Amino acid sequence: MPPTGLEPARMNRKKGDKGFESPRPYKLTHQVVCINNINFQRKSVVGFVELTIFPTVANLNRIKLNSKQCRIYRVRINDLEAAFIYNDPTLEVCHNESKQRNLNYFSNAYAAAVSAVDPDAGNGELCIKVPSELWKHVDELKVLKIHINFSLDQPKGGLHFVVPSVEGSMAERGAHVFSCGYQNSTRFWFPCVDSYSELCTWKLEFTVDAAMVAVSSGDLVETVYTHDMRKKTFHYMLTIPTAASNISLAIGPFEILVDPYMHEVTHFCLPQLLPLLKHTTSYLHEVFEFYEEILTCRYPYSCFKTVFIDEAYVEVAAYASMSIFSTNLLHSAMIIDETPLTRRCLAQSLAQQFFGCFISRMSWSDEWVLKGISGYIYGLWMKKTFGVNEYRHWIKEELDKIVAYELKTGGVLLHPIFGGGKEKDNPASHLHFSIKHPHTLSWEYYTMFQCKAHLVMRLIENRISMEFMLQVFNKLLSLASTASSQKFQSHMWSQMLVSTSGFLKSISNVSGKDIQPLIKQWVDQSGVVKFYGSFAFNRKRNVLELEIKQDYTSPGTQKYVGPLKVTVQELDGSFNHTLQIEENSLKHDIPCHSKSRRNKKKKIPLMNGEEVDMDLSAMDADSPLLWIRIDPDMSVLRKVEFEQADFMWQYQLRYERDVVAQQESILALEKFPTPASRLALTDILEQEQCFYRVRMSACFCLAKIANSMVSTWTGPPAMKSLFTRMFCCKTCPNIVKTNNFMSFQSYFLQKAENGVVVLENQCLLRLVIELYCLPATCLQPLHPLILKMVVRKLDSCSTMPVAMALLRDVHNLCPKEVLTFILDLIKYNDNRKNKFSDNYYRAEMIDALANSVTPAVSVNNEVRTLDNLNPDVRLILEEITRFLNMEKLLPSYRHTITVSCLRAIRVLQKNGHVPSDPALFKSYAEYGHFVDIRIAALEAVVDYTKVDRSYEELQWLLNMIQNDPVPYVRHKILNMLTKNPPFTKNMESPLCNEALVDQLWKLMNSGTSHDWRLRCGAVDLYFTLFGLSRPSCLPLPELGLVLNLKEKKAVLNPTIIPEAIAGNQEAAVNPSSHTQLVGFQNPEDDHLAKEASCNISAHQQGVKRKADTPLGSPLEPGQILEKNEDSSKVKLKIRFSSSQDEEEIDMDTVHDSQAFISHHLNMLERPSTPGLSKYRPASSRSALIPQHASGSDGTPTTKPQWNMELARKATGKEQSPLEMSMHPVAAAPLSVFTKESTSSKHSDHHHHHHHEHKKKKKKHKHKHKHKHKHDSKEKDKEPFTFSSPASGRSIRSPSLSD
Amino acid sequence: MADAAATAGAGSSGTRSGSKQSTNPADNYHLARRRTLQVVVSSLLTEAGFESAEKASVETLTEMLQSYISEIGRSAKSYCEHTARTQPTLSDIVVTLVEMGFNVDTLPAYAKRSQRMVITAPPVTNQPVTPKALTAGQNRPHPPHIPSHFPEFPDPHTYIKTPTYREPVSDYQVLREKAASQRRDVERALTRFMAKTGETQSLFKDDVSTFPLIAARPFTIPYLTALLPSELEMQQMEETDSSEQDEQTDTENLPLHINTDDSGAEKENASVLQQNPSLSGSRNGEENIIDNPYLRPVKKPKIRRKKTSLLLTSPGLHVPCRADRR
Repeated sequence: MPPTGLEPARMNRKKGDKGFESPRPYKLTHQVVCINNINFQRKSVVGFVELTIFPTVANLNRIKLNSKQCRIYRVRINDLEAAFIYNDPTLEVCHNESKQRNLNYFSNAYAAAVSAVDPDAGNGELCIKVPSELWKHVDELKVLKIHINFSLDQPKGGLHFVVPSVEGSMAERGAHVFSCGYQNSTRFWFPCVDSYSELCTWKLEFTVDAAMVAVSSGDLVETVYTHDMRKKTFHYMLTIPTAASNISLAIGPFEILVDPYMHEVTHFCLPQLLPLLKHTTSYLHEVFEFYEEILTCRYPYSCFKTVFIDEAYVEVAAYASMSIFSTNLLHSAMIIDETPLTRRCLAQSLAQQFFGCFISRMSWSDEWVLKGISGYIYGLWMKKTFGVNEYRHWIKEELDKIVAYELKTGGVLLHPIFGGGKEKDNPASHLHFSIKHPHTLSWEYYTMFQCKAHLVMRLIENRISMEFMLQVFNKLLSLASTASSQKFQSHMWSQMLVSTSGFLKSISNVSGKDIQPLIKQWVDQSGVVKFYGSFAFNRKRNVLELEIKQDYTSPGTQKYVGPLKVTVQELDGSFNHTLQIEENSLKHDIPCHSKSRRNKKKKIPLMNGEEVDMDLSAMDADSPLLWIRIDPDMSVLRKVEFEQADFMWQYQLRYERDVVAQQESILALEKFPTPASRLALTDILEQEQCFYRVRMSACFCLAKIANSMVSTWTGPPAMKSLFTRMFCCKTCPNIVKTNNFMSFQSYFLQKAENGVVVLENQCLLRLVIELYCLPATCLQPLHPLILKMVVRKLDSCSTMPVAMALLRDVHNLCPKEVLTFILDLIKYNDNRKNKFSDNYYRAEMIDALANSVTPAVSVNNEVRTLDNLNPDVRLILEEITRFLNMEKLLPSYRHTITVSCLRAIRVLQKNGHVPSDPALFKSYAEYGHFVDIRIAALEAVVDYTKVDRSYEELQWLLNMIQNDPVPYVRHKILNMLTKNPPFTKNMESPLCNEALVDQLWKLMNSGTSHDWRLRCGAVDLYFTLFGLSRPSCLPLPELGLVLNLKEKKAVLNPTIIPEAIAGNQEAAVNPSSHTQLVGFQNPEDDHLAKEASCNISAHQQGVKRKADTPLGSPLEPGQILEKNEDSSKVKLKIRFSSSQDEEEIDMDTVHDSQAFISHHLNMLERPSTPGLSKYRPASSRSALIPQHASGSDGTPTTKPQWNMELARKATGKEQSPLEMSMHPVAAAPLSVFTKESTSSKHSDHHHHHHHEHKKKKKKHKHKHKHKHKHDSKEKDKEPFTFSSPASGRSIRSPSLSD
Repeated sequence: MADAAATAGAGSSGTRSGSKQSTNPADNYHLARRRTLQVVVSSLLTEAGFESAEKASVETLTEMLQSYISEIGRSAKSYCEHTARTQPTLSDIVVTLVEMGFNVDTLPAYAKRSQRMVITAPPVTNQPVTPKALTAGQNRPHPPHIPSHFPEFPDPHTYIKTPTYREPVSDYQVLREKAASQRRDVERALTRFMAKTGETQSLFKDDVSTFPLIAARPFTIPYLTALLPSELEMQQMEETDSSEQDEQTDTENLPLHINTDDSGAEKENASVLQQNPSLSGSRNGEENIIDNPYLRPVKKPKIRRKKTSLLLTSPGLHVPCRADRR
C-alpha cells in the first residue's frame, strides 16, 4: 500500500486514461444518513451515518473520511468498535505564526492544509482504523459497514439554522435549517467521502417535528410518525449513484405546492408565501421541456424539488434532484422586474441538475466541463426565451467581464494540470491563492471561471456546430443513465463522471473534428487576446489595408494564432473575410468589392439582407467603406480596440443590425462628442425597433456627450424633449402619464381592432412575460417584435431620467431644469390605476436624484448644517425623507426604495451636502433588516470607512464579518471591502497598523475555517490591503523573530541544527515569546526572490532531518499517552468503553497537519514491530487521547510511533524519506507547532482537556501500570503547555522552509 | 256651591291660563274641556250628596275622570284600528268597557236615574288649527295607488332638489396637479406625524426636526414584509375599488380584467382548461390520482420497527431529545 504521499501523482497519471481510478483503496457503494434529532433551539443535530464500502486492496486497514465540525462519538465497523482520529488542519492554517504575516506563505500553507484532507487525493479529516478482527475479512475484499454516530452543535457552516425570535413554536416561527456551502461542503454536516467523484446510492432519514417537512435528495419513500406521534420521520431513497457533495437537506415548516403541470415536481416555501410560490414556479415546466427537448434526454431523477429559504448562502444551489433558492426570488404577479431574474435562476439550477448533479466530475480540474455545459445550455434557453438580441448581449457582457478580470488579475485557467510532486509548478503563480483546490479559490475567480467555461463551450460549438454539441451532451447523459441503472456494478458508475479527456474524446468521436488547438488555447492556458486594429484604404489598389496588432506581454494576455473573421460593410454590401493571424504578419490586405460609386442613389444591402437608404454625405468620398468589424461573432475571447473614423461608428450605430455592434459603436462614440454623434444617438434612442438595452446605453452615452459638448450644446437638456414626447401627456407636457399598465389581452384586442397600440412602461415587460407563458405557436410571428418594443419602452422610461441626471452645465452642476424635471416626474407619478407595482420605477427616480447631486461648494471646511443647505439639495432631501418614511408605513417589494434612498443619502454625504455620518447606515445594517437593505447600508459604511478613514467603522465591519448570523452578509462585507478597500498596499494610511494585520491574519488563519468562501474572501482582502509580501506597516523583523522562507534555509545550516533540536523543548515551553528561535535574520524584502530556489532542497533536507529525529528524541519509541476525551464526551465514552475493548484516538482539533499526515503514513502500515503492536493494544481499554490538547498532549501518541516508524524506515527502506518529500502536504502547514492559541475558543478546549484528562487517568491507572513512567513524564510537562517532542520536531520540519 | 267653587277654581285656573290663552288657541280648547269635566265632577258630587268639596279633591277626581275617559277613547281606537276601521263604533266602546271591567248592562239604568243633574253643554270652542307653514309650490297629489286617507305629500321643497350647475374641474393638468399635491401633502403629514410620535433618526445632528427619519426598526422576519409588502395590498384594494368605479368606462375590457385579476393559479387552471378542454372533465379525477409523496398521509408507526429500536439505542440521543421537547 503506497503512502498517501503518492496520491496526487496517481491522480495525474490517470489523465488521458479512459477509466477512472479512484484515489481511495475502497469503493463506497451505499450510504445511510440518519438524522434523528434536530433541535432548533440549540441549533444542534444528532444522527449517524452508515457507509457500505468494498475494499479494493487486500491490506486495507485505515479508512479516511471527510468530516468537519461534527462531533464523532463512536465508530463501528461491522459492529466492532473502531478507533479513529479526527484531525482537521484547515481549522488553523498556520500555527505559532504570530509574526509571519506573509500571504505567500499563508496561501501555500492553506493549499497544503486543504490537500491534506482532500478527498480527491484520498485524504480526509477522519481516519478510522479497521479493527484487527476484520483484517481477514478485508483481505477477502468483503464488504465493510462503517457506522458513525455524530452530532453537530451550533454549526457555523454547512448547515444554516434560521430561527426568528418571535413567539410560538418553531414551526409557527418559521424556523428552518438547510445545507449550504461552497463546492463540496457536505462534510460540514455529516461524515462522508466529500468528493464529487465518489458516487453511491443513498438512504436518508430525518426525524423532525410533526409540523415540519424535511426535504432532501432522492425520492420520499414514506413518512412515519414516531411512537409519541409528535415527530415524523422522512425516509428518502436515492437510487441513482450520487456524490455526497450533491446531497442536501432543508427542514422547515414549509408550505407544499405540487406543480400543476408536472406532479413529480414539488415546490416548498416558507409559511405565508404560497401565493408567491405559485406564481414564481408557474413557469418552471417550460424550462424542463426545453432542456429535455434539446438534450433529448429525460430529466434523470424521478422527482424534483425546489425549496425557497431565507438567509440563503447563494441565490441558487443545485443538488441531486433538488435545488435550494433564496426566498427573495419569490414574487407576486404584480412585480415585473423580478420575474426574468427569477426565471433565469430557475433555469440555471435546472441546467445544473443535468450537468453537475446527475453527471459529476472526476476531479477539480474537470470542473470547467460541467460549468461550461450547464452554462451553455442555460444560454440556449436564454436565447429561446429572451431572444437572440438578449442572448448576444449577454454573451458580450460575459466576454467583457472575463476579459476585464483576466487583464486585471492575470488569467483564469480552466483546466489546471499540476505537475506531480513539484509543488512549485504552479500554473497560476500570478495569483495570490492556489487554484489547485476549489476551496482555496477566490470567489470572484470562481465566478469568472464559470463565465469563461461557458464562453469556451460556445467557442467549441462554433467549431463543431450545435447539433454535434448537443449530440455530445446526449451521449454523456445516456452513458451516465445507463451506468446509473447498473445497481450492482458500482465500477460502472464512473461513467457518470465527466472528465476533460472524456469530454474531448466524445467531441472528436461525434464530430470528427480536431478541436485540440482550441482547447489548448482556451482551456489549458490562461489569458485572453488583446487586439489593436487600425486600417487604411488604398484607393489605387481598391484594397483595405488592415493592421492587427496583439499585446501578448501584459499579464492576462496570450498570443492568438489562427483564423479571425473580419466583416467589412461596403457600399455594395457586407462582406466577411477570414484572416489568418500568424506569428509575424500584422498587415492584411482585404480587397474591396465596391468602387466608390456614391453618386448613384442606391439602397445599401446590409448583412441580414435588408436594404436601406443611407445619407452618405458624412463619409469619405474616396472610400467605399462604411464600417469594419473585427471578430463580429465573438469567436475569440478577446478585447478589440479598433480605430475607425467617427462617421463610421455612427453608421455602424445606425445601420448595423447586430446589437453587439451597436453597443460597441456607442462605446466608441463617447470619444467623439460632436453634433453628429449626438444626432446618431438621439435617432437610435427614438427608434422603436432598436433593442432596448442598446437604447439604454445610448442614454448614458448621450449624457456623456452632452457634458463634453456643454459649451456648444443648444436646446433643452439632452433627452428631455424625447422623454416628454414618449412618456408625457400630450396636453400637458410637464406631466408624466399615469402608470396604466394594461393587460396583455387588452393589448392584443386593441391592436387587432384599430391597430393603435397604447403601451406604457412596465406593462410592456409584463407582456413579454406573459408571452413566455403562452404556447409559442400562437405568438410566433409577433414574438420578437413585441419583445423588443416592450422591454425597450419600459427601461428607457426610467433610464432616461437616470441618465439625464448625469448632465452637467458649464459650472459642472446639474442643470436646474433637469432637477425640476425629475422632481416633477416623482411628483406626478401616479400608480393608482396600475395593476403592477411601480416600486422599481420609483427607486430609479431616487437614483436619478442621487445622480444629479454635484459636490458642494464648501467654504473652508465649514460644518454642514441645515442653514447652509443648498436649496436644490433641500428639495432632494425632502423627497428622500418622504420616500424613506413612507417605506416604513407602506414598504415596497424587496424594499427597493429604501435601498435607493440609502444610496442617495450616502451620495449626499460624500458630496458634502450632509454631514458624513455612518450612524444611520449602521442602524440599517443590523441583523433583522431585509438583506438588500443591509447590503446597501453596509456598502455605505464601507465607503465611509474608505473616505473618512475611520478605524472605528472598520472594526465594526470586521466584527460583523466574524459575528453576523447570515453567511451571505459576511461574505458580502469582505467582498465590498475588497472592491472598495479603505487603503491598498501602496498607500499610506493611518488605518494600516499592526493590530489590523493581526486581526485579519487571525480571521483568515482560524476565524473563517467554517466557510471556504469566507476564508478566501478574507485572503482576497488581505491581498488587497497588504499585497503578497509582509505588510509594510509591520515593524522590521527582529533577529530571529520571524519565521520566514529564509529561516528554513537557516535551519538547514548545520551549525544551527543541533541548537534547533536542543531548543525544541524551550521553544515549546515558551511559545509566546518566539524569541528563542535563534537568530536567523534575513532582510525580509528579498526573501521572495529566493523562495523558489530554496524550496525543494529544503523539503528533502527537512525530511532527512525528520528521519533523524527519533535518534535525538527524548521519548521512547513505543510510548503512548493515555488520555481522555474532552469534557463533553466523557459520559459517552464511559458508556462505550465499559463494554468494549477499544483504542480510540480522537483528536477533533489536532491542528498540526504534519502530525496528522505523519500519523496517516503511520497508520497505513500494518503493525510489524513490537512498538506498533503496542500501539494497538487489545487489552488496553482506551488509548484516549485528548483533542489536540494544546498541541502537546495529542501529538505525542502519534509522534513517537511515527518517529519510530521513520526510524525503522530510515534503517530498513531507504526510499521512505523520498516518499515523504513527494508529499507536498507534509511540507507546508506543519510549520510551527507551538500553540499560542490565537482563538480564545481553542484555549478553552484546552482547559477542558486538562481537567478531564486527569480524572480519567486516575480511573484507568490500574490498567496501565506499564505506562507509569510515561505518566510521570507527562506530569512533568503539565505545567508547560507544550510538550517538547512534538513541537520540537515540527520546528525542524520542512514546513518551516516555506 | 260646590259647583261655584269648582267653577271658581276652574275659572281661576281659566284666568290664569287665560293670560297665556291669548297666545295659544290650543291650550284654550283643552282648558274649556277641562272646565266642563270639572262641572261634571261637581254635579256628580252634588248628586252623591256632598255639600262642598275641597278644591284639591275635585281636581283629583277630575284627573281620574279624564284618565278614565281617555283610556276608554284610546282603547276604543285600538279596537277599531284592529278591525281596520278608522272610526270607533259603539261596539268598540262596549268591548272596551267590558274589557275595563265595567258592567255595561248597568249603564241604561244609570242613565235613567231620577236624580241626575243636567249640565249645560260645554261652550263651543273651535278645534285649534295647526298653523300652515309657508307653502312653496304645489303639493303633489297622491298617485293613484296611494289611498286618499294617507297624509299628503310634504311641501315640494323638502324633497325636490334644486340642482345648481357649476363647471366641474375637468382640466387634466389641474386634476393631476391636485391629485399629486394632495397625495404628497397627505403623505408628508402622515410621515411627519409618525416621525413625531416615534423614534427618529436625523441626517443633521444639530437639527432633528427638519428632515425627521422614522427610525429603522429591525423585523423579526424581514423577508415577509419585503416579499409581501403592504404597499401592494393597498394597491390591490384600491385597484378593486377603482375597477368598480370604472366599470362603465371599461365595459369592453371587463371580461379581460377579470381574467387578469385572478391569481396566478387560477389563470393557470383557466389556461389549462382552455388548452385541453377535452381533458378538463377528467381533471378532477386526475387530481385525485396525483401521486406526490408529500401529499400522502403520514403513516402510523409500526409496532416493531427495526429502525426505531435502533434509533432508541443509539447513543447520545437522549440528552438533546429531552431538551427538544419544550
